Amino acid sequence: MSDEFDEKVTTYFQKSLPLLSSIFFMLLAFIPLNFNLFYNVRPDFGLMCIYFWMLHRPDLFGLGTIILMGFISMAISSAVAGSSLLCYLCMYVLVYNTQKLFNAKSFVVIWYGFMALSLLSMLIKWLIVSIYYNQFLPLSMLMLSYLIGVVLYPLISTVLAFIQNRFIQDDGL
Amino acid sequence: MKRRRSLFLHLDQLRILAKKFALVILFLAALLLMLLSKNQETTVTNMTNGTTGAVIMVVDVLVAPAKIVSWIYDFFYEIGTVKKRNVELSEENKKLRLLKDKYEALEIENKLLAELLNFAVMPDVKYISAKVVAEENDAFAHSIVAYVGDKSIKKGDVVLSDKGVVGRIDAVKSSYAKIITLADINSKIPVMIEKNRVRGILSGNNTIFPRLTFIPLDAEVSVGDKIVTSGVSGVFPAGLPVGQVMSVSKNEIKVKLFAILEKLEYVRIVKYGIDGLINVDDEAGNE
Repeated sequence: MSDEFDEKVTTYFQKSLPLLSSIFFMLLAFIPLNFNLFYNVRPDFGLMCIYFWMLHRPDLFGLGTIILMGFISMAISSAVAGSSLLCYLCMYVLVYNTQKLFNAKSFVVIWYGFMALSLLSMLIKWLIVSIYYNQFLPLSMLMLSYLIGVVLYPLISTVLAFIQNRFIQDDGL
Repeated sequence: MKRRRSLFLHLDQLRILAKKFALVILFLAALLLMLLSKNQETTVTNMTNGTTGAVIMVVDVLVAPAKIVSWIYDFFYEIGTVKKRNVELSEENKKLRLLKDKYEALEIENKLLAELLNFAVMPDVKYISAKVVAEENDAFAHSIVAYVGDKSIKKGDVVLSDKGVVGRIDAVKSSYAKIITLADINSKIPVMIEKNRVRGILSGNNTIFPRLTFIPLDAEVSVGDKIVTSGVSGVFPAGLPVGQVMSVSKNEIKVKLFAILEKLEYVRIVKYGIDGLINVDDEAGNE
């Protein structure tokens, strides 16, 4: 009975690791750094996590996860409510429809994919929020955030790949 | 029996339809959220503010290891500089004592002159210190979250750093306050140019240099002019240092803020005596 319970808890924990790791990285972007590097512009870690998990474990990363991520972002961020959710949904749709292109491809191809899809998602968010405010938001800040994200993606994906290989096993899931 | 079957079919069909259109529904929901958030006091804003406390607590925990490392570094660094700092502080203390005496004399003189002129004194200012636990600087928002603890803090209260105005309180929930900084697109505060008292509005634009707007066309503005709060709205006390003019062109005047928004560790919240920008309780009562 106890073994069965332990097994169930372990399985649930493993299933929720993509969500937990995504939330962890999302919140990491809000930590005060106390040093002025690139005007403290942060990358969108949420987009990196969505891209990684949608490519590698789409079975554990559904729409519910995206909604939860959107709401957590909404709770902490001062950006327009719903804008992050919209951006995450865009990324979800884009990866969902293009994931076949990245199957069994080298990391560089996957990285290029992230460059293209994250840019598209961020631009859609930028356009919609600009319409909301009736003025164009600074594109330079957006591009800076995007470039930092692109540079950091290999590092984040390495950490996520470690989590996937070390903690998420296929048996029982 | 037939009816029940058709009902089940109906529910199944609905489920399939919902699955098919889930994405469309979610996209519409996100857009609806954006539209609803235009109204500051909607259930959407209240709901998100409610969860802010819980989310921020997690961020606070995530910061802990970094804080320990930073504390160890500071501890050893300060040991090395303690003697030099002591000499500097003794010198500074001597100067401050002289200034304190001057300040007290001026305060008495000011009080006497105000009584002579029958001058209406502005409400007392009370300061509350708060620790910054989260920050956000990107194309979409410029804000910080601070642990305030004090429940008397209200939306609209002014936030200062040791160098100048940082912004204003946007929302307070479970001991944490969301602070919109001056760089944020939603920030608009009444300011004036200190040397010629020309009034204007400092508008954030989500870049690190907010713009000075609503300045008279014939106003003399030059690079380096000091900008302070004008106190016009009654929310911000007058004379608080904001920044200095960085560039003047035909279309815009850019301001470099005194407060270093990227390096905020602690902030001071000003309780001006006048209730915050919007007194929600009063508004609800009026309705």
